[in-house]
Amino acid sequence: MMWKFLLPFAAFLGLVVLFAFGLNPKRDIHELPSPLIGKPAPEFALTDVLEPARIVSNAALKGQVYVVNVWGTWCVECRVEHPTLLAISQQHIVPIIGIDWSIDHGTGERDKATRWLEQLGNPYSSVAFDQDGRTIINWGVYAAPETYLVDRSGRVIYKFISPLTMEVWNQEFLPRIAAAQRSGA
Amino acid sequence: MRPGTVMASWQAVALAVALAAGTCGAAGTSDAGTSDAGTSNAGTGATGAASGGMDANGQLQDAALQTRYERITHALRCLVCQNESIADSNVDLAGDLRRQVREMLIAHESDDAIFKFMTDRYGEFVRFAPPLEPKTLLIWGAPFIMMLLGSFIVVRIARQRAHMPIDE
Repeated sequence: MMWKFLLPFAAFLGLVVLFAFGLNPKRDIHELPSPLIGKPAPEFALTDVLEPARIVSNAALKGQVYVVNVWGTWCVECRVEHPTLLAISQQHIVPIIGIDWSIDHGTGERDKATRWLEQLGNPYSSVAFDQDGRTIINWGVYAAPETYLVDRSGRVIYKFISPLTMEVWNQEFLPRIAAAQRSGA
Repeated sequence: MRPGTVMASWQAVALAVALAAGTCGAAGTSDAGTSDAGTSNAGTGATGAASGGMDANGQLQDAALQTRYERITHALRCLVCQNESIADSNVDLAGDLRRQVREMLIAHESDDAIFKFMTDRYGEFVRFAPPLEPKTLLIWGAPFIMMLLGSFIVVRIARQRAHMPIDE
């Protein structure tokens, strides 16, 4: 009959384990795992923000590891992230493709983005202009800035939501990039 | 302390936990049920009143399509606000997702195809009501499991009490 005295303690321990997972402050419940990880990166062919006559397409990047960064001039956090992107681009490790998200579907975003890049500097190898917001839906974007890492076979291997920092870049991106670049095309 | 009272107290604790969990589970599923019902929710306050995004492009010509449109957009979560459906949210992204649903309906896509389009991009979380499939059985079954567990404990306590002398 003694084991029955232990039941409340067992229940208590169960709750402790549950809460340790559920209330972990490092776990952001608003951050969703991307179903895109491990899947082929959605293709896009959009006009270049800076040269509207030019088409930016990720099909051309097949065979190399690249980063896709979704941003917009309306996005405050993107401005916070910008210096980090500039520093990363100075390392010349991977091309960074920008997708400029025109949230209101207006063309005004293109002019603002152009000014943004002129004033703050341009970390991108090219910036695609997603005026109608279809490409960002295909990529499962819901909050800019979002940054994706694509491997040589064209698969998305990592996604980071919220502004990049050098710490995140060094800890999360660089090891994955090194591994992806080592593995054959 | 007699062993009888001690047993009754741990059983009472177990019963309370089972009932509490059962209620939460039931509330969760009924919540999902209402979001699925397709009625326009006027009770969401300022956002609901201000949204009007539902009909920004006018009603769909076909009444049956409009009904499906409303049901589907109410069953899809707006990922920016996360507790609102894309029908109720006036965030730009919700508008883009409504446009996607509308276009797919006009292109004669099935409801399943539309939900699959969304879950392929945004994950299962985009649906308020998880589909009934092996990996979600526990979610859907939890209220019933809790209910069974609770009734079992109630019956056991009742049987025990039946054997107790009325007056000690």
